[in-house]
Amino acid sequence: MGQPDGTEQVTDALLDVEDLRVTFPGRGREVHAVDGVSYRVYAGQTLAIVGESGSGKTVSCRAVMGLLPPGALITGSARFQGRQLIGLSDDQLREHRGANIAMVFQDPARSLNPTMRVGAQIAEAVRAHQDVSKARAKAQAVDLLRLVHIPLPERRSVEYPHQLSGGMRQRVMIAIALACRPKLLIADEATTALDVTTQAQIMDLLLELQAELGMALMLISHDLGLAGAYADEVIVMYAGRIVEQAPAARLFSRVRMPYTQALFEAIPRLERPAHAPLPVIGGHPLGPPDASDLPPGCSFAPRCRRAADDCRAAAPPLEEHEAGHRWACWHPVDGGTS
Amino acid sequence: MTDAPLLQVRDLVHEFPTDIGTVHAVSGVSFDVHQGETLGIVGETGSGKSTLARAVMQAPRPKAGAVLFRGTDLVTLRGARLLQARRHLQMVFQDPFGSLDPKWRVRDLVEEPLIAYKTGDRATRRRRVDEVLELVGLDPAGHGGRRPRELSGGQAQRVAIARAVALSPALIICDEAVSSLDVLIQAQVLNLFERLRAELGLSYLFIAHDLALVKQVSDRVAVMYLGKLCEVGPGEAVYRQPLHPYTRALLDSVPGAGAATHKTIRGEPPSPVHPPSGCRFRTRCPRAEQRCADEEPVPRELATGHRVACHFPLVPMARSTPRSEEKIGDTP
Amino acid sequence: MSAPLPELLAPAQPQGVPAARPRGRGRAPNLRIWLPAGFLIALFCACFFWPLVYPVPKPIGGSILNSGLPPLSPGHIFGTDPVGNDIFSRILHGGQVSFEVGLSVTAIGLAIGGLLGVAAAYWGGAADTAISRVLDVFIAFPALVLALAIAEGLGPSELHVIWALAIFSIPAFGRIARGATLTLREQTFMLAARLSGTRGRRMITRHIVPNIMPQLLTFSLLGIGVVMILEGALSFLGLGIPPPEPSWGSMIAQGQQTISASPDLVLIPSAFLFATVVSLNVLGDALRERWANPMGQSR
Repeated sequence: MGQPDGTEQVTDALLDVEDLRVTFPGRGREVHAVDGVSYRVYAGQTLAIVGESGSGKTVSCRAVMGLLPPGALITGSARFQGRQLIGLSDDQLREHRGANIAMVFQDPARSLNPTMRVGAQIAEAVRAHQDVSKARAKAQAVDLLRLVHIPLPERRSVEYPHQLSGGMRQRVMIAIALACRPKLLIADEATTALDVTTQAQIMDLLLELQAELGMALMLISHDLGLAGAYADEVIVMYAGRIVEQAPAARLFSRVRMPYTQALFEAIPRLERPAHAPLPVIGGHPLGPPDASDLPPGCSFAPRCRRAADDCRAAAPPLEEHEAGHRWACWHPVDGGTS
Repeated sequence: MTDAPLLQVRDLVHEFPTDIGTVHAVSGVSFDVHQGETLGIVGETGSGKSTLARAVMQAPRPKAGAVLFRGTDLVTLRGARLLQARRHLQMVFQDPFGSLDPKWRVRDLVEEPLIAYKTGDRATRRRRVDEVLELVGLDPAGHGGRRPRELSGGQAQRVAIARAVALSPALIICDEAVSSLDVLIQAQVLNLFERLRAELGLSYLFIAHDLALVKQVSDRVAVMYLGKLCEVGPGEAVYRQPLHPYTRALLDSVPGAGAATHKTIRGEPPSPVHPPSGCRFRTRCPRAEQRCADEEPVPRELATGHRVACHFPLVPMARSTPRSEEKIGDTP
Repeated sequence: MSAPLPELLAPAQPQGVPAARPRGRGRAPNLRIWLPAGFLIALFCACFFWPLVYPVPKPIGGSILNSGLPPLSPGHIFGTDPVGNDIFSRILHGGQVSFEVGLSVTAIGLAIGGLLGVAAAYWGGAADTAISRVLDVFIAFPALVLALAIAEGLGPSELHVIWALAIFSIPAFGRIARGATLTLREQTFMLAARLSGTRGRRMITRHIVPNIMPQLLTFSLLGIGVVMILEGALSFLGLGIPPPEPSWGSMIAQGQQTISASPDLVLIPSAFLFATVVSLNVLGDALRERWANPMGQSR
């Protein structure tokens, strides 16, 4: 149970990530999936990390949890309650997972063991961290199913995953994640595969559990609307870096980074009239940048309407330009959004 | 606009057997799509919207009902006659890579319908391919020789769109055509759809699970639940004055930036193998009563062009109010 | 999150994360393709072209004065057999037989069986049932027994061996082709092609065949090895290539009689047969893995 680097920093942040970098050695070129990411999560807070595919949002969280494939090179620091997580062995990480940090994934169909009854899987999670009898664990499993509002939990606990709907399976995943009352729950695109009505139910459940258990919640998503509706603080990632961070209300009213603004404008909104053309970003329509071939300077410059020569020459640093609002841009948008 | 609708679907039924029973995917759906308009169909998982799309295309042929495209009932046709009748009806699928043969090159993929329908000679076809590739924003010289795996998601979907447009169709069915794309690319492809609509006079049947997305591109919106249409009407009307409780629930579930507390729908979607009797939404509806279990609601037109199938619809307000001011669960 | 989960079912890696490749990229996989391929090509060329280019003693009609020479004797690098034939020459000519039989049987199976399988899956319904049942009948028979019966009935010769073994190759390919086509039909791009108006012959030649070819080709490679062994077994039992024409199988059979005195008469042809079949297997496996990998997409 020793600390790998011998030091223990005391901050009031539950999770303190500092200059996290993740690189995957590729054929000839390295893939810089995460390129220097720093943020903090506080107890009881809801932090959302928003980005498109390839932005590095999922990779950075999996790095913290130690869930990346063996070839990944991780540098930087991620401290949970002062204890360094990067570089821990699998056994040491096991102590953290479940008891301290838990994760819920996108596709419950693939994260649940199809050959095991639902209650048994939850009980397994319970017994991984608590020294209780099988019977006790089973009873706790039923309690957890009740906690996540699954009706008739005793009956459900003996069913198999394929007998449950998508929303129910995700609730089971949440129950497993909560088995040992973690202090931080990471929901990695946890509602992306669900219908919007089911998504609303699951999000309500997460917030309710957060209040009840005093958990911190990290929402990882490509859905900016979801982040705005449910998070206290929002981080926007692009090409492995954080490009903007602010409290949710502030971000939505005073967006600065052109990429964030482009995201806002591109999302279909109910209030907009039909057939209104969506503002399109210029530059090549190739999509998210190739993380193995990042241009020098700002990685969003090729697609940015406001890009100038200094953008292409040097990457803007992420700085707190206004209270509580960080962004990385040489020519930020001048506040205000639709 | 011509008088007769371009596409008329009447009482379409499709079901298929599975291990657990017969899935009643589409149970009596009727709607029209007029020349030059976009009809959006929004539905969640299990609503049957994808089955509906394929049934309209006769792939496979629906169990019952009629699909009149330009006056001809596709359900009654077979073989070459079906092929000819369906020439101006095309489809774009959800997975951009899944809908393109991985062994083929872009140019051949776009040329395929031209060859199948024997339009012109090789030179004419090639010209058309180049024309259509440029139309969707791809470079014929640069992209024409590539295989799907050498394209990005947005580019692959453009190829699929180019293929659909090659024969100058009248109606394109978009089955979750942008759902797999990143937000910014999605916006670009949506703009492409709009541009093609304007330039080529296309009509669309746009199917998706995202209500805001459907409303964005559609003139009229239809809401589908468990094999039936709950509500059909002009997009703005459905948004501002939803008549069906399910539509209300959908609107309430959309995470809006800075939205006030919403009321989430309760319960789980029932299985399409054993749909509830009477109104299929009654098991989750806050307004359900005994009548809803006994009697299936028939679609009624409550406002101009705005139909709803409900015994206790949300009565339209006297004046149109912004959504945030409406109270949840209006009483009749 | 409970401990068992990440190990049990690793969640799908997000886009941007290359899938873990335990063997590492670069040199190793290519070696598994080029090494056996190189060996097979070299062996093929040696068997067919060496005797044309380089004088080699005849494989039959050797002088009894030369009999029983050990390997590495002057002029006879592998020695001679009890009748005086040069073993090296017999290996080369026997190899010709193995390749001829292996390739012909597989080609017949691929062409006829593949066609039948694709047709059955494409047409479906009654045609599928009819074809499948016929193929099933042949698959149900123990291959060797039927091959023996046929060879016995027709008389031993290389051509008859090819017929006999083709009877099995055809249904085996038919099964594979049918399965592959059925899976393929569920793909969205097949539906898209149908909706584009493509059907019939064009659908089969332009869409189905190119997409099932990788599977069929790897099956072919593995199949060649099996056929070579079967030919070896038939010849071993005296129902294959009639002596004194050499075949690796018959060489093993004859060498069996003097195995304690001159074991290399058995070991040398066995080693060649073994090396060939192993190379085919390794190559087939490596190609199957290479082609089964999902196409890397630039997302």
